[in-house]
Amino acid sequence: MSEAIAIPALAVAGTDLALESQATTAAGVALTLEPPASRWSLRARTADALAAVIGRPVPARIGETRDGLACLGPDEWLADLPAGTVLPDGAGQPVSVVDISARGVVIRVEGAGAARTVASGCPLDVERFAVGRATRTVYETVEVILWRESETAFRVFVWRSFAPWLWHALKACERA
Amino acid sequence: MLLIHCPYCEEDRPEVEFVYGGEAHIARPLDPAALSDEDWEHYLYIRRNPRGRHHERWRHTHGCGRFFNAVRDTVSDRFEQTYKAGEPRR
Amino acid sequence: MSGYRLPAGGRIDRAAPLDFTFDGRAYRGFAGDNLASALVASGQMLFGRSFKYHRPRGILGMGTEEPNALVTVDRGATAPGWGRATPNLRAPSVALYQGLNAQSQNRFPSLRFDLGAVNDRLGALFPAGFYNKTFMWPRSAWEKLYEPAIRRMAGLGASPTTRDPDHYDATYAHCEVLVVGGGLAGIEAALSAAQDGGRVILIDEQDELGGGALADRALWGELADKTMALRRLGNVTVLTRTTAFGYYHQNFVGAVEQLTDHLAPEQAKGARERLWRIRAGEVVLAQGAIERPLVFDGNDVPGVMLSSAGRTLAVRYGVAVGRAVAVMAVHDSGWRDAMAMKAAGVGVVAVIDLRSDVAPDLVAAARAAGIALHLGHAVTSVSGRHGVSGVTFAANGTGHAQQLAVDALLMAGGWTPTVHLWSHAKGSLRWDADWGAYLPDVAQENCRAVGAGAGAWDMGSGLALGTLPGPKPIWQTKAFVDFQNDVKARDIDLAVREGMRSIEHIKRYTTNGMATDQGKTSNLNGLQIASGSLAKPVTDIGLTTFRPPYTPQTFGALMGHHKDALFQPIRKTVIDGWAADHGAVFENVAQWRRARYFPQGSEDMHAAVARECLAVRERVGMFDASTLGKIEVVGPDAAEFLNRMYTNPWKALQPGRCRYGLLLREDGFITDDGVSARLAPDRFHLTTTTGGAARVLAMMEDYLQTEWSDLDVWLTSTTEQWAVIAVQGPLARAVIAPLVEGIDLSPSAFPHMAIREGRICGVPTRLFRVSFTGELGFEVNVPAEHGRMVWQAIHAAGQAHGITPYGTETMHVLRAEKGYVIVGQDTDGTLTPDDAGMAWAVGTKKPDFVGKRSLSRPDMAAPGRKQLVGLLTEDPQDVLEEGAQIVADPDQPVPMTMLGHVTSSYHSATLGRSIAMAVIADGRARDGQVIHVPMPGRTIRARVTASTVFYDPEGSRLDV
Repeated sequence: MSEAIAIPALAVAGTDLALESQATTAAGVALTLEPPASRWSLRARTADALAAVIGRPVPARIGETRDGLACLGPDEWLADLPAGTVLPDGAGQPVSVVDISARGVVIRVEGAGAARTVASGCPLDVERFAVGRATRTVYETVEVILWRESETAFRVFVWRSFAPWLWHALKACERA
Repeated sequence: MLLIHCPYCEEDRPEVEFVYGGEAHIARPLDPAALSDEDWEHYLYIRRNPRGRHHERWRHTHGCGRFFNAVRDTVSDRFEQTYKAGEPRR
Repeated sequence: MSGYRLPAGGRIDRAAPLDFTFDGRAYRGFAGDNLASALVASGQMLFGRSFKYHRPRGILGMGTEEPNALVTVDRGATAPGWGRATPNLRAPSVALYQGLNAQSQNRFPSLRFDLGAVNDRLGALFPAGFYNKTFMWPRSAWEKLYEPAIRRMAGLGASPTTRDPDHYDATYAHCEVLVVGGGLAGIEAALSAAQDGGRVILIDEQDELGGGALADRALWGELADKTMALRRLGNVTVLTRTTAFGYYHQNFVGAVEQLTDHLAPEQAKGARERLWRIRAGEVVLAQGAIERPLVFDGNDVPGVMLSSAGRTLAVRYGVAVGRAVAVMAVHDSGWRDAMAMKAAGVGVVAVIDLRSDVAPDLVAAARAAGIALHLGHAVTSVSGRHGVSGVTFAANGTGHAQQLAVDALLMAGGWTPTVHLWSHAKGSLRWDADWGAYLPDVAQENCRAVGAGAGAWDMGSGLALGTLPGPKPIWQTKAFVDFQNDVKARDIDLAVREGMRSIEHIKRYTTNGMATDQGKTSNLNGLQIASGSLAKPVTDIGLTTFRPPYTPQTFGALMGHHKDALFQPIRKTVIDGWAADHGAVFENVAQWRRARYFPQGSEDMHAAVARECLAVRERVGMFDASTLGKIEVVGPDAAEFLNRMYTNPWKALQPGRCRYGLLLREDGFITDDGVSARLAPDRFHLTTTTGGAARVLAMMEDYLQTEWSDLDVWLTSTTEQWAVIAVQGPLARAVIAPLVEGIDLSPSAFPHMAIREGRICGVPTRLFRVSFTGELGFEVNVPAEHGRMVWQAIHAAGQAHGITPYGTETMHVLRAEKGYVIVGQDTDGTLTPDDAGMAWAVGTKKPDFVGKRSLSRPDMAAPGRKQLVGLLTEDPQDVLEEGAQIVADPDQPVPMTMLGHVTSSYHSATLGRSIAMAVIADGRARDGQVIHVPMPGRTIRARVTASTVFYDPEGSRLDV
């Protein structure tokens, strides 16, 4: 009865997690790793101040998205633009333009059960999360940016090193 | 898990997106060197611990990223209101 | 024994027999049975041994209230070391499946013959508070003697010792209305809520909806119709086999859905359980009510059970609890149960009721059914040990004793509305004298209670009693109140006599209501008995607090996805795969997995680290530093901001140059450090420690947003944007030179502590000339997706120079040889810059920076502070243990005066001896003194060196 429990070291537990380019969850939802893109963290006191520097329309309300830009906070935007797009660096201006193209990846969750798959670990009311809306939030303990593209498609932005865990956690979701 | 109204996002969001930030309305002295040791100690360490209405800071870390202030009842755990950083004490 | 299957009836599928085993013996039941109903149908009335006295016990109830019939279900081993065994399951809640293998608990060597039952014979020695009074002295005996012995004797099931092969699902869900409880009241609430079109979730713990209606044939038609109507609605989610275990703030409800435990293991596919985290607009609690046992001598003999259990067995499962069944009632529901059982074919021979005045229609109906009636009587004792053989009863419990030969006795003690979840949500309760129970009163959340759980159900009327009246004084009886914790009426009475006044004290003294069933059947009886002993109304004694979970849940369910490979994210750099391919041994640093060293052949860590260190000192090494925290600080006020945050001046730093930054908390203690570069007048590339990245960013955001919101500067985490490859050693420049474009690497054009932007291997780089080794060094930053390619290119280019990949252990040794601190290892949140020997990093001319004012507080400059110094052991081969305590005089009697402790300690291959750093009181003043490090069996002598720099103190190797 007193046989010791052999628990593998934590370092070993995650070693089999690798990111695939495509998978299907246990509930039949498609996961796809999106190709690289040009992504920027943009900061300014107002949308107008930012628009003046980057020469693009900038959504002004938190959660709103427009032409590849998502407003994440009162002074923060995420730009998700075609690979190769370069933005002006805003030198000397009261703005911050930082290239984060390599910082993370985007996992696309698509299918009839996409909302339920995201809701498996995201505490927002994902079903009611409007199409075209984006926000920073969490999936369990991992910070993500959630961007709803359509009724059945979500884009989940995540930092690179958290991506394998997130990928496999999504893949394991069984609620159909 | 509480729901917390973020005054920047203007909606109720789940508590796990937030981080607690201690008592609110404790401004860093503009000239710390001018403070006596006792006053500096008070600024650093002395905090209220009320039963009832408590003004406190929260940050919507995993959301819009902003610090804001809240009035929460420490008995019922209920948030009475939240308001943006920099606005006067309510 | 006494139970048997009725020839017809019940909701079981008699065409689907299921074979199972209990304690190794084969039994047969039917689909739709639970373990308890199937065993009772087979005549098995003995289910377990009680917690403290090891008394034989049968089932008491047929629902989640069951306190006695706890079993271990073994679902088999899937591989060596992996197994599925769950202890402490309530038999009535275990769905039957083909091949089910269950065992009884807390018995040795067998359920029928249990040695521990000697506790029962010695019961007078184990009164309330026995443990508190007896096992007090000597203190050491607790660990070695008392506790292990008590744990062995007083036990629930054994914890599994093999790993759980199952996985668990989890989800959040949102709805407008959540209904907890799928009896008729809950179904009606869900149907009504669904009319508004919102999302409705109905959850119920049983395998089919219906609750109490499942034991009432007259309601089956209505139940079927309403269940069908519910399932037709698109906006209603019905979750059966799901237990709402906790009700938290703002209508957040935790529930666990059983997905596979009701299936034979070979049919079970997918997750075992699913954790539901539900946020509801409104919560409707329809949890029903639980019947109360009666408290009298012998009320725990197997075969004595709740009246509702007998009825449920008969009507729902087609099982008779005995051939001659008596009902002891103080409540009308017992009469209705008797008639329902009789109608189902059970041999109900008598109804005994303490009340003389019972509703005439009940009396007439029972009489017509041929049941003998004994009004104004009470059962006073039960014959039989492993099963009921008869009962003794008397007028008002004290009159002339009469015998009745029965093989089962049912107790109808009235009903306790289930207010657990209501109370979790801080809803208030009110005492209802008719129910003899607490009912929901004022809700704190948007919540309402319906049905029996709200007192709104016709259960009939009855008495609410502490104990049945009897001929013996209470201290001579074995009348159980809490069956699972073996608390008797006399224990509660004793607690009161020994001075306990509040029910909270009585509960803790007697353990009444503290078992895994949380007193579902015992709380109210305990209150009534205490009320009697104290001669105070129940409402003056208080009520204990209900806390989650409503029923025990598995750890697996609560963990959800976080198990095995998904236990937590293990962050890996883009170079991790290369390291794995090249035999790296890894260690975890914060959430990161980092290569610790790269053993070759049969090298151990010592040999590998020595080789790696020498390679860096003599030739060149390469190191994956990608985990370093990085923050891009951008905006016109960037330099001003950093100047306020860090201890040293930043405004004069020229673009293209780097600076070491020391970060304090406002209390003056070191919290982080790192080398940062100015890329442009308004753009800095900051680095932080690996573990401090998130903390430093949050701290900086705090100052920026709340103290200095006038500054035009923004912070962006770029930790994962950049892969970082440190190339260190005298040949570092020669290795990277052929790969770099657009950067003049010559020492004059690119001095130590400079940054240049250009290209390496064809991709953009931010190239730092910095060193954490004391050698000529570069840190190559490239966008993460190119990190592995660049790493491999440098590795290939370095072959001609003998390049050696090294890991964190070698990095630690190399920096310690140079006396560079690691914040968090050599500092512990109580060191000032001066304590750490880094007063040089403090800009004393700056009027202010975070933490500056604290540095002049009297205690921060007082003598006797611990200071970081070097230690050299007298025996150069002795390597001190990190964390070891340091004393001045090893002969001082214990407790010795501790001077400090060792913070870093390594064998240095370069120096051919051990080196260490330590924090020691007045350390620098002890330069040259010998201190002592007491270790098991010996004391190590070492000499203090005020300087922590052991190698190249002039720094001549950096500037080449």
